[in-house]
Amino acid sequence: MPLTSRTYEVDDLMAAQELYHSNGWTDGLPVVPPTEAAVLACLDWAGMTPDQLIGIEPVREQAITAEKIAINAVMAGCLPMHFPVVVAAWQGMLKEEFLLHGTTSSTGGCAVLVIINGPIRKEIGASGGFNALANSDRATASIGRAIRLGLINVLDVRPGAIDRSTLGHPGKFSYCIAEDEEDMTWTPLAQMRGVPEGLSAVTVMAAMGPRQLMNEWTHEPEELLETFAAEMRGNQRHYSIYGGNYCIVVPKQLRDQLQAAGWSKADIGRFLYERARIQRKEWGEVGKGAVVRDRGESVYTALESPEHLLVVGAGGPAGGFGAVIPPWMGHKTKAVTVPIGACVDCGPEPAKPA
Amino acid sequence: MTLRVLDPTNEAKPATGEAAQRLLSLRGTTIGFISNGKEGTKEYFGHLGRILQEEHGVARIVMRTKSNYSAPADKHIVDEIRQWHAAVTGIGD
Repeated sequence: MPLTSRTYEVDDLMAAQELYHSNGWTDGLPVVPPTEAAVLACLDWAGMTPDQLIGIEPVREQAITAEKIAINAVMAGCLPMHFPVVVAAWQGMLKEEFLLHGTTSSTGGCAVLVIINGPIRKEIGASGGFNALANSDRATASIGRAIRLGLINVLDVRPGAIDRSTLGHPGKFSYCIAEDEEDMTWTPLAQMRGVPEGLSAVTVMAAMGPRQLMNEWTHEPEELLETFAAEMRGNQRHYSIYGGNYCIVVPKQLRDQLQAAGWSKADIGRFLYERARIQRKEWGEVGKGAVVRDRGESVYTALESPEHLLVVGAGGPAGGFGAVIPPWMGHKTKAVTVPIGACVDCGPEPAKPA
Repeated sequence: MTLRVLDPTNEAKPATGEAAQRLLSLRGTTIGFISNGKEGTKEYFGHLGRILQEEHGVARIVMRTKSNYSAPADKHIVDEIRQWHAAVTGIGD
Protein backbone atom coordinates (compact mmCIF):
# COMPACT_ATOMS: atom_id res chain seq x y z
CA MET A 1 0.00 0.00 0.00
CA PRO A 2 1.54 3.37 -0.99
CA LEU A 3 2.02 6.28 1.35
CA THR A 4 -0.50 9.08 1.01
CA SER A 5 1.23 11.99 2.74
CA ARG A 6 2.03 15.06 0.69
CA THR A 7 5.60 15.09 -0.60
CA TYR A 8 8.10 17.89 -1.06
CA GLU A 9 11.22 17.94 -3.20
CA VAL A 10 14.26 19.61 -1.70
CA ASP A 11 17.73 20.11 -3.13
CA ASP A 12 19.75 18.63 -0.30
CA LEU A 13 19.92 17.85 3.40
CA MET A 14 20.21 21.48 4.47
CA ALA A 15 17.23 22.46 2.36
CA ALA A 16 15.25 19.70 4.04
CA GLN A 17 16.15 21.14 7.44
CA GLU A 18 14.94 24.57 6.41
CA LEU A 19 11.70 23.13 5.04
CA TYR A 20 10.88 21.42 8.33
CA HIS A 21 12.02 24.27 10.57
CA SER A 22 10.24 26.96 8.55
CA ASN A 23 6.97 25.05 8.74
CA GLY A 24 7.21 24.57 12.50
CA TRP A 25 7.60 20.80 12.11
CA THR A 26 10.51 20.32 14.51
CA ASP A 27 11.40 20.63 18.16
CA GLY A 28 14.08 23.16 17.26
CA LEU A 29 16.75 20.55 16.56
CA PRO A 30 17.71 19.09 13.17
CA VAL A 31 15.62 16.17 11.96
CA VAL A 32 16.28 13.14 9.80
CA PRO A 33 14.51 13.77 6.46
CA PRO A 34 11.59 11.33 6.29
CA THR A 35 11.88 9.69 2.90
CA GLU A 36 9.40 7.15 1.61
CA ALA A 37 11.96 4.35 1.92
CA ALA A 38 12.73 5.14 5.56
CA VAL A 39 9.07 5.39 6.52
CA LEU A 40 8.15 2.18 4.72
CA ALA A 41 11.01 0.41 6.50
CA CYS A 42 9.46 1.34 9.87
CA LEU A 43 6.02 0.18 8.80
CA ASP A 44 7.39 -3.07 7.39
CA TRP A 45 9.27 -3.82 10.60
CA ALA A 46 6.08 -3.44 12.62
CA GLY A 47 3.96 -5.29 10.04
CA MET A 48 1.67 -2.28 9.66
CA THR A 49 0.00 -0.69 6.68
CA PRO A 50 0.26 3.09 6.25
CA ASP A 51 -3.44 3.64 6.90
CA GLN A 52 -3.55 1.42 9.97
CA LEU A 53 -5.34 3.26 12.73
CA ILE A 54 -3.26 3.67 15.89
CA GLY A 55 -6.20 5.34 17.59
CA ILE A 56 -8.37 8.43 17.69
CA GLU A 57 -7.59 11.41 19.88
CA PRO A 58 -10.74 11.49 21.98
CA VAL A 59 -11.30 15.24 22.36
CA ARG A 60 -10.61 16.60 18.89
CA GLU A 61 -11.45 13.29 17.19
CA GLN A 62 -8.24 13.22 15.20
CA ALA A 63 -7.44 9.88 13.60
CA ILE A 64 -3.82 8.86 14.16
CA THR A 65 -2.43 6.59 11.45
CA ALA A 66 0.69 4.47 11.39
CA GLU A 67 2.06 6.45 8.43
CA LYS A 68 2.11 9.74 10.33
CA ILE A 69 3.60 8.19 13.45
CA ALA A 70 6.30 6.54 11.30
CA ILE A 71 7.17 9.81 9.54
CA ASN A 72 7.72 11.52 12.87
CA ALA A 73 9.67 8.54 14.22
CA VAL A 74 12.06 8.72 11.28
CA MET A 75 12.45 12.45 11.82
CA ALA A 76 13.34 11.79 15.46
CA GLY A 77 16.12 9.41 14.46
CA CYS A 78 14.33 6.13 15.07
CA LEU A 79 15.45 2.95 13.38
CA PRO A 80 12.75 0.57 12.16
CA MET A 81 13.28 -1.66 15.21
CA HIS A 82 12.38 1.27 17.48
CA PHE A 83 9.05 1.86 15.78
CA PRO A 84 6.93 -0.80 17.60
CA VAL A 85 7.81 0.89 20.89
CA VAL A 86 6.66 4.25 19.55
CA VAL A 87 3.40 2.72 18.34
CA ALA A 88 2.70 1.08 21.70
CA ALA A 89 3.39 4.35 23.50
CA TRP A 90 0.86 6.12 21.27
CA GLN A 91 -1.69 3.39 21.93
CA GLY A 92 -1.27 4.06 25.63
CA MET A 93 -1.47 7.82 25.26
CA LEU A 94 -4.73 7.50 23.32
CA LYS A 95 -6.47 5.62 26.13
CA GLU A 96 -9.11 7.85 27.67
CA GLU A 97 -7.65 7.62 31.17
CA PHE A 98 -4.38 9.16 29.98
CA LEU A 99 -6.26 12.40 29.22
CA LEU A 100 -3.97 13.26 26.30
CA HIS A 101 -5.55 16.59 25.42
CA GLY A 102 -5.46 17.85 28.99
CA THR A 103 -1.92 16.71 29.61
CA THR A 104 -0.54 18.20 26.40
CA SER A 105 -2.41 21.50 26.53
CA SER A 106 -2.06 22.29 30.23
CA THR A 107 -0.13 25.24 31.56
CA GLY A 108 1.39 22.66 33.93
CA GLY A 109 3.92 21.68 31.28
CA CYS A 110 4.35 17.94 31.71
CA ALA A 111 5.97 15.54 29.25
CA VAL A 112 5.17 11.96 28.29
CA LEU A 113 7.46 9.61 30.19
CA VAL A 114 7.93 6.31 28.34
CA ILE A 115 9.21 3.32 30.34
CA ILE A 116 10.32 0.25 28.37
CA ASN A 117 10.25 -3.29 29.78
CA GLY A 118 10.92 -6.75 28.42
CA PRO A 119 13.20 -8.41 25.87
CA ILE A 120 12.85 -5.61 23.32
CA ARG A 121 15.10 -3.42 25.49
CA LYS A 122 18.08 -5.63 24.68
CA GLU A 123 17.13 -6.02 21.03
CA ILE A 124 17.08 -2.26 20.44
CA GLY A 125 19.89 -1.31 22.81
CA ALA A 126 17.78 0.58 25.31
CA SER A 127 19.97 0.94 28.36
CA GLY A 128 18.76 1.32 31.90
CA GLY A 129 22.25 1.96 33.16
CA PHE A 130 24.51 5.02 33.21
CA ASN A 131 22.70 8.33 32.74
CA ALA A 132 19.39 6.48 32.55
CA LEU A 133 17.22 9.60 32.67
CA ALA A 134 19.19 11.46 30.02
CA ASN A 135 21.26 10.70 26.91
CA SER A 136 21.96 7.09 27.80
CA ASP A 137 21.55 5.53 24.37
CA ARG A 138 20.22 5.96 20.84
CA ALA A 139 17.03 3.95 21.32
CA THR A 140 15.56 5.77 24.30
CA ALA A 141 16.69 9.17 22.98
CA SER A 142 15.02 8.72 19.61
CA ILE A 143 11.89 6.96 20.90
CA GLY A 144 11.23 9.72 23.41
CA ARG A 145 11.82 12.35 20.75
CA ALA A 146 9.47 10.55 18.35
CA ILE A 147 6.66 10.98 20.86
CA ARG A 148 7.25 14.73 21.10
CA LEU A 149 7.58 15.27 17.33
CA GLY A 150 4.40 13.25 16.79
CA LEU A 151 2.53 15.39 19.29
CA ILE A 152 3.82 18.54 17.62
CA ASN A 153 2.99 17.52 14.08
CA VAL A 154 0.04 15.16 14.30
CA LEU A 155 -1.86 16.91 17.08
CA ASP A 156 -0.55 20.50 16.75
CA VAL A 157 0.94 20.40 20.24
CA ARG A 158 3.15 23.37 19.49
CA PRO A 159 4.12 25.95 22.10
CA GLY A 160 1.50 28.68 22.00
CA ALA A 161 -0.91 26.53 19.96
CA ILE A 162 -2.31 23.47 21.73
CA ASP A 163 0.70 23.42 24.06
CA ARG A 164 0.03 26.19 26.60
CA SER A 165 2.80 25.21 29.02
CA THR A 166 4.08 28.03 31.16
CA LEU A 167 7.55 26.48 31.54
CA GLY A 168 7.57 22.90 30.35
CA HIS A 169 10.68 20.90 31.23
CA PRO A 170 13.62 19.33 29.39
CA GLY A 171 11.85 15.96 29.22
CA LYS A 172 9.69 17.46 26.50
CA PHE A 173 12.56 16.88 24.08
CA SER A 174 12.77 13.21 24.98
CA TYR A 175 11.70 11.34 28.13
CA CYS A 176 12.23 7.63 27.82
CA ILE A 177 13.92 5.09 30.07
CA ALA A 178 14.40 1.34 30.11
CA GLU A 179 14.26 -0.64 33.31
CA ASP A 180 17.50 -2.40 34.28
CA GLU A 181 15.80 -5.78 34.60
CA GLU A 182 19.00 -7.84 34.48
CA ASP A 183 20.53 -6.15 37.46
CA MET A 184 17.72 -6.55 39.96
CA THR A 185 15.69 -9.25 41.63
CA TRP A 186 12.54 -7.14 41.63
CA THR A 187 9.58 -7.82 39.37
CA PRO A 188 9.77 -5.56 36.31
CA LEU A 189 7.31 -2.69 36.16
CA ALA A 190 5.29 -4.13 33.27
CA GLN A 191 4.70 -7.38 35.17
CA MET A 192 3.71 -5.40 38.25
CA ARG A 193 1.05 -3.83 36.03
CA GLY A 194 -0.33 -7.09 34.67
CA VAL A 195 1.70 -7.81 31.55
CA PRO A 196 2.66 -11.53 31.31
CA GLU A 197 6.32 -12.39 31.92
CA GLY A 198 8.38 -12.53 28.75
CA LEU A 199 6.36 -9.91 26.88
CA SER A 200 7.75 -6.49 26.14
CA ALA A 201 5.70 -3.45 27.07
CA VAL A 202 5.75 0.29 27.47
CA THR A 203 4.27 2.33 30.25
CA VAL A 204 3.38 5.95 29.54
CA MET A 205 2.84 8.56 32.19
CA ALA A 206 2.12 12.28 32.02
CA ALA A 207 5.09 13.33 34.07
CA MET A 208 6.77 16.36 35.50
CA GLY A 209 10.54 16.65 35.55
CA PRO A 210 12.59 14.29 37.74
CA ARG A 211 13.34 15.53 41.25
CA GLN A 212 16.73 14.05 42.09
CA LEU A 213 17.64 13.01 45.61
CA MET A 214 20.62 11.44 47.35
CA ASN A 215 21.13 9.26 50.39
CA GLU A 216 24.46 7.44 50.71
CA TRP A 217 24.64 7.42 54.49
CA THR A 218 22.49 4.50 55.57
CA HIS A 219 21.59 0.94 54.65
CA GLU A 220 18.29 1.03 56.50
CA PRO A 221 15.41 0.63 54.04
CA GLU A 222 13.10 2.90 56.02
CA GLU A 223 15.69 5.67 56.06
CA LEU A 224 16.48 5.33 52.36
CA LEU A 225 12.82 5.43 51.46
CA GLU A 226 12.12 8.31 53.81
CA THR A 227 14.25 10.44 51.48
CA PHE A 228 11.94 9.49 48.59
CA ALA A 229 8.89 10.19 50.79
CA ALA A 230 10.24 13.61 51.70
CA GLU A 231 10.71 14.48 48.04
CA MET A 232 7.14 13.42 47.33
CA ARG A 233 5.88 15.50 50.23
CA GLY A 234 7.89 18.41 48.90
CA ASN A 235 6.15 18.07 45.56
CA GLN A 236 2.80 18.01 47.33
CA ARG A 237 3.67 21.21 49.16
CA HIS A 238 5.25 23.10 46.30
CA TYR A 239 3.45 21.80 43.22
CA SER A 240 0.29 19.72 43.62
CA ILE A 241 -1.18 18.25 46.77
CA TYR A 242 -3.30 15.69 44.94
CA GLY A 243 -2.55 11.98 44.74
CA GLY A 244 -1.77 10.13 41.53
CA ASN A 245 0.77 7.90 39.82
CA TYR A 246 4.21 8.81 41.11
CA CYS A 247 7.25 7.13 39.58
CA ILE A 248 10.43 6.57 41.55
CA VAL A 249 13.70 5.61 39.90
CA VAL A 250 15.92 3.50 42.14
CA PRO A 251 19.56 3.04 41.13
CA LYS A 252 21.57 -0.09 41.73
CA GLN A 253 23.31 1.10 44.89
CA LEU A 254 20.02 1.79 46.67
CA ARG A 255 18.31 -1.17 45.02
CA ASP A 256 20.93 -3.59 46.32
CA GLN A 257 20.38 -2.37 49.87
CA LEU A 258 16.60 -2.60 49.64
CA GLN A 259 16.70 -6.02 48.00
CA ALA A 260 19.21 -7.36 50.53
CA ALA A 261 16.81 -6.34 53.28
CA GLY A 262 14.01 -8.25 51.54
CA TRP A 263 12.00 -5.26 50.37
CA SER A 264 9.89 -5.80 47.23
CA LYS A 265 8.39 -3.12 45.01
CA ALA A 266 5.04 -3.77 46.70
CA ASP A 267 6.65 -3.19 50.11
CA ILE A 268 8.02 0.13 48.86
CA GLY A 269 4.58 1.10 47.58
CA ARG A 270 3.02 0.39 50.95
CA PHE A 271 5.73 2.34 52.81
CA LEU A 272 5.52 5.40 50.58
CA TYR A 273 1.72 5.36 50.62
CA GLU A 274 1.91 5.76 54.41
CA ARG A 275 4.80 8.22 54.52
CA ALA A 276 4.14 10.49 51.54
CA ARG A 277 1.19 12.51 52.78
CA ILE A 278 0.66 16.02 54.08
CA GLN A 279 -2.00 18.08 55.74
CA ARG A 280 -3.54 20.90 53.78
CA LYS A 281 -2.45 23.42 56.40
CA GLU A 282 1.17 22.80 55.33
CA TRP A 283 0.37 24.88 52.28
CA GLY A 284 0.31 27.80 54.68
CA GLU A 285 4.04 27.27 55.31
CA VAL A 286 4.92 27.63 51.63
CA GLY A 287 2.95 30.69 50.68
CA LYS A 288 -0.32 29.00 49.73
CA GLY A 289 -2.29 29.86 52.85
CA ALA A 290 -5.01 31.49 50.77
CA VAL A 291 -6.36 28.11 49.64
CA VAL A 292 -6.12 26.23 52.94
CA ARG A 293 -9.50 27.60 54.09
CA ASP A 294 -11.29 25.45 56.66
CA ARG A 295 -9.67 22.22 55.49
CA GLY A 296 -6.33 22.62 57.25
CA GLU A 297 -6.53 19.27 59.02
CA SER A 298 -7.42 17.32 55.87
CA VAL A 299 -4.80 14.73 54.93
CA TYR A 300 -3.73 14.21 51.33
CA THR A 301 -1.76 11.17 50.23
CA ALA A 302 0.68 11.42 47.32
CA LEU A 303 -0.52 8.01 46.16
CA GLU A 304 -4.19 7.11 45.92
CA SER A 305 -3.15 3.57 46.82
CA PRO A 306 0.18 1.70 47.17
CA GLU A 307 -0.30 0.21 43.71
CA HIS A 308 -0.22 3.65 42.13
CA LEU A 309 3.53 3.88 42.71
CA LEU A 310 5.63 3.02 39.66
CA VAL A 311 8.97 1.68 40.90
CA VAL A 312 11.64 1.56 38.19
CA GLY A 313 15.10 0.13 38.69
CA ALA A 314 17.50 2.16 36.55
CA GLY A 315 20.73 4.10 36.72
CA GLY A 316 24.47 3.61 36.80
CA PRO A 317 26.10 1.03 39.07
CA ALA A 318 27.41 3.50 41.65
CA GLY A 319 25.83 6.38 43.50
CA GLY A 320 23.00 6.75 45.95
CA PHE A 321 21.04 9.03 43.63
CA GLY A 322 17.39 8.34 43.09
CA ALA A 323 14.59 10.32 41.53
CA VAL A 324 10.96 11.05 42.16
CA ILE A 325 8.96 11.76 39.02
CA PRO A 326 5.62 13.34 39.98
CA PRO A 327 2.43 13.12 37.97
CA TRP A 328 1.22 16.10 35.99
CA MET A 329 -1.85 16.73 38.16
CA GLY A 330 -2.86 14.09 40.68
CA HIS A 331 -5.37 11.52 39.56
CA LYS A 332 -6.68 13.46 36.55
CA THR A 333 -4.40 11.33 34.38
CA LYS A 334 -3.46 7.68 34.80
CA ALA A 335 -0.33 5.85 33.71
CA VAL A 336 -1.08 3.26 31.02
CA THR A 337 0.85 0.08 30.23
CA VAL A 338 0.62 -1.48 26.78
CA PRO A 339 2.23 -4.74 25.59
CA ILE A 340 4.27 -4.43 22.42
CA GLY A 341 3.12 -6.50 19.48
CA ALA A 342 0.54 -8.42 21.49
CA CYS A 343 -3.21 -8.11 21.61
CA VAL A 344 -4.54 -8.21 25.14
CA ASP A 345 -8.08 -7.21 24.20
CA CYS A 346 -8.71 -10.02 21.74
CA GLY A 347 -10.68 -12.20 24.10
CA PRO A 348 -9.81 -15.69 25.31
CA GLU A 349 -7.19 -17.74 23.55
CA PRO A 350 -8.65 -19.99 20.88
CA ALA A 351 -9.08 -23.58 21.93
CA LYS A 352 -6.19 -25.81 21.02
CA PRO A 353 -6.94 -28.49 18.44
CA ALA A 354 -7.54 -31.89 19.95
CA MET B 1 20.99 15.23 -4.82
CA THR B 2 17.29 15.89 -4.72
CA LEU B 3 15.38 14.49 -1.77
CA ARG B 4 11.68 13.72 -1.73
CA VAL B 5 10.41 14.06 1.83
CA LEU B 6 7.04 13.63 3.52
CA ASP B 7 4.62 15.91 5.34
CA PRO B 8 4.60 14.97 9.05
CA THR B 9 1.36 16.75 9.93
CA ASN B 10 -2.10 15.30 10.24
CA GLU B 11 -3.51 16.16 6.85
CA ALA B 12 -6.77 14.33 7.52
CA LYS B 13 -8.10 16.73 10.07
CA PRO B 14 -11.82 16.58 10.77
CA ALA B 15 -13.88 19.52 9.55
CA THR B 16 -14.04 22.23 12.16
CA GLY B 17 -17.33 23.91 13.01
CA GLU B 18 -18.34 27.23 11.55
CA ALA B 19 -18.32 30.35 13.65
CA ALA B 20 -21.76 31.31 14.90
CA GLN B 21 -23.41 34.40 13.47
CA ARG B 22 -22.32 37.52 15.37
CA LEU B 23 -24.90 39.19 17.59
CA LEU B 24 -25.97 42.65 16.42
CA SER B 25 -26.95 43.64 19.94
CA LEU B 26 -26.62 42.18 23.42
CA ARG B 27 -29.89 43.73 24.57
CA GLY B 28 -32.34 41.17 25.91
CA THR B 29 -30.00 38.23 25.31
CA THR B 30 -28.97 35.30 27.47
CA ILE B 31 -25.19 34.98 27.86
CA GLY B 32 -23.58 31.87 29.30
CA PHE B 33 -20.22 31.79 31.04
CA ILE B 34 -18.22 28.55 31.20
CA SER B 35 -15.50 28.61 33.83
CA ASN B 36 -12.75 26.01 33.85
CA GLY B 37 -13.20 25.90 37.62
CA LYS B 38 -10.12 27.78 38.70
CA GLU B 39 -10.24 30.50 41.32
CA GLY B 40 -9.41 33.31 38.94
CA THR B 41 -12.63 32.97 36.97
CA LYS B 42 -14.98 33.58 39.86
CA GLU B 43 -14.69 37.29 40.51
CA TYR B 44 -13.72 38.12 36.96
CA PHE B 45 -16.67 36.38 35.33
CA GLY B 46 -19.03 37.80 37.96
CA HIS B 47 -17.74 41.30 37.26
CA LEU B 48 -17.99 40.84 33.51
CA GLY B 49 -21.55 39.51 33.87
CA ARG B 50 -22.59 42.58 35.84
CA ILE B 51 -21.15 44.88 33.19
CA LEU B 52 -23.01 43.02 30.46
CA GLN B 53 -26.30 43.34 32.34
CA GLU B 54 -25.92 46.89 33.64
CA GLU B 55 -24.25 48.53 30.66
CA HIS B 56 -25.30 46.42 27.68
CA GLY B 57 -28.83 45.31 28.51
CA VAL B 58 -28.19 41.58 28.73
CA ALA B 59 -31.33 39.99 30.16
CA ARG B 60 -29.86 36.90 31.77
CA ILE B 61 -26.45 35.60 32.77
CA VAL B 62 -25.88 31.86 33.23
CA MET B 63 -22.77 30.72 35.10
CA ARG B 64 -21.52 27.18 34.61
CA THR B 65 -18.31 25.49 35.78
CA LYS B 66 -16.58 22.49 34.27
CA SER B 67 -16.08 19.54 36.60
CA ASN B 68 -12.50 19.02 35.34
CA TYR B 69 -10.51 22.04 34.27
CA SER B 70 -8.30 19.90 32.02
CA ALA B 71 -11.09 18.19 30.10
CA PRO B 72 -13.76 19.44 27.70
CA ALA B 73 -16.95 20.91 29.15
CA ASP B 74 -19.35 18.35 30.59
CA LYS B 75 -22.08 17.13 28.26
CA HIS B 76 -24.88 18.80 30.22
CA ILE B 77 -23.12 22.14 29.78
CA VAL B 78 -22.56 21.61 26.06
CA ASP B 79 -26.22 20.63 25.67
CA GLU B 80 -27.28 23.82 27.43
CA ILE B 81 -25.27 26.12 25.14
CA ARG B 82 -27.94 26.07 22.42
CA GLN B 83 -30.29 27.88 24.82
CA TRP B 84 -27.89 30.83 25.01
CA HIS B 85 -27.33 33.61 22.51
CA ALA B 86 -23.59 33.65 23.19
CA ALA B 87 -21.06 31.97 25.43
CA VAL B 88 -17.95 33.25 27.17
CA THR B 89 -15.27 30.75 28.12
CA GLY B 90 -12.00 31.25 29.83
CA ILE B 91 -9.35 29.89 32.12
CA GLY B 92 -8.66 31.30 35.50
CA ASP B 93 -4.96 30.78 36.10
